[in-house]
Amino acid sequence: MLRSLTGPTRLILLLLALLLSIIFLLPKQTRDVLQTVGHPAAYVIALPLEALASVNRSVAELWQEYVALRQVREDNRQLRRDLDVLRKQNSELREMAVASQRLAALLEFKAQFSPPTVAAQVIGRDATNWYRSIIVNKGERDGVRTEMGVMTPAGVVGRVVKTGPSTSVVLLVTDPNNAITGIVQRSRDEGIVEGTPQGRARIKYLPLLSSVKVGDTVVTSGLAGGFPRGVVIGAIQSIEKEEGELFQTAEVLPEAELSKLEEVLVITATRPSNGTEPMRNGAQR
Amino acid sequence: MRQGWYVALMLGLIPIQTTVLDYVNIAGVRPDLCLIAAFLAGFLIGEAPGALTGMTLGFLQDLFSAGQLWINVLIKGIIGLLGGVFGRHLANATAVSVVSMLFILSALSSSVFGVWFHGGNRPDILTLMQASIIPQALYDAALGGLLYWLVPHRRGRRDEFVDEITLFGR
Repeated sequence: MLRSLTGPTRLILLLLALLLSIIFLLPKQTRDVLQTVGHPAAYVIALPLEALASVNRSVAELWQEYVALRQVREDNRQLRRDLDVLRKQNSELREMAVASQRLAALLEFKAQFSPPTVAAQVIGRDATNWYRSIIVNKGERDGVRTEMGVMTPAGVVGRVVKTGPSTSVVLLVTDPNNAITGIVQRSRDEGIVEGTPQGRARIKYLPLLSSVKVGDTVVTSGLAGGFPRGVVIGAIQSIEKEEGELFQTAEVLPEAELSKLEEVLVITATRPSNGTEPMRNGAQR
Repeated sequence: MRQGWYVALMLGLIPIQTTVLDYVNIAGVRPDLCLIAAFLAGFLIGEAPGALTGMTLGFLQDLFSAGQLWINVLIKGIIGLLGGVFGRHLANATAVSVVSMLFILSALSSSVFGVWFHGGNRPDILTLMQASIIPQALYDAALGGLLYWLVPHRRGRRDEFVDEITLFGR
């Protein structure tokens, strides 16, 4: 079969084989080179992408807001926004209350803070079918870096896994490749929240004797993953206790509506800038 | 003219894949336009353009996906190359043959993703086949077959091949 291939085809075959060898022998260097080459390419592609996303958004809005029940929808949207903000505040207050009860006597507990964020618009979904991710219109030029947490006022959305000059890819909390440290707000049990292949989320490694129950809220623990402490991840839907297992697992319904995201907030630092160094990726003072 | 098509393909395909295709998803499955384009480029034009188109589109796809930066470069490059090899060796290419080959190649590439690259807690292969691999392959094959059927100059490659025979007497 090789004999029947023409000169350029043999060259391409050789190129593919060479590329494969380089990828497996020098994975980090290959990634660096591809990232360097990819930056200008991502910048160029971002232009038609943003244009198409803008047209897409305009058409969608036109359809939704003018054809459908315009005023009712707008009111509904505003109420939902308010509800999301109130939910967040409620969760923050609960988190503060629980923490202050436990720690107030021991140390000076600092009030929960709002982390510095960058607002970004969702302009697309993952280019393949294999990852649950979104593309946002903010990138390195806006201070967005990989591993930063992404949220809405309702709760956690995911974390940044790839950045270009003007766009970033955010891996959703429901993707099986994502893992965020979470804590059950009521029982204070810690676990790892990760996505499931079915597009849901679950919290793993909860102690067998934990009093966790359906309806409990899971929040970020602030130990890792680019999130401050106390951001809502979701509510527990069901609990799995298997015989012989050392831990139990609970299914979590994310609070943020991940299939209808339009705007998100990228958390650019997980500590207040009050003279102390901002901390990321779970670094603790 | 051909260069213009290439530029349009490179600039247009990823924005369409990431935005508009959400409207045509069936049970969460969207067709992989880059895979179809790479295969058809190889099948209609030849191995080298197919592989190069596949590698470029794969690279752009990787830039806007959460996966590693090299996976689609390789997979789409190989698909473009295989499309070219099939196109060269198939005496009587029809839309049905394109559909069959696209189905097989899409299923194979999805299997590579699903089995080797998609995290530790993926479902078992049968569930993966039912939920993602087969529907994706069916969608890719159907759309690819339709596009092939719609392409007006799909015999261009055979003419080039005839020219080669005339030139080199093979």
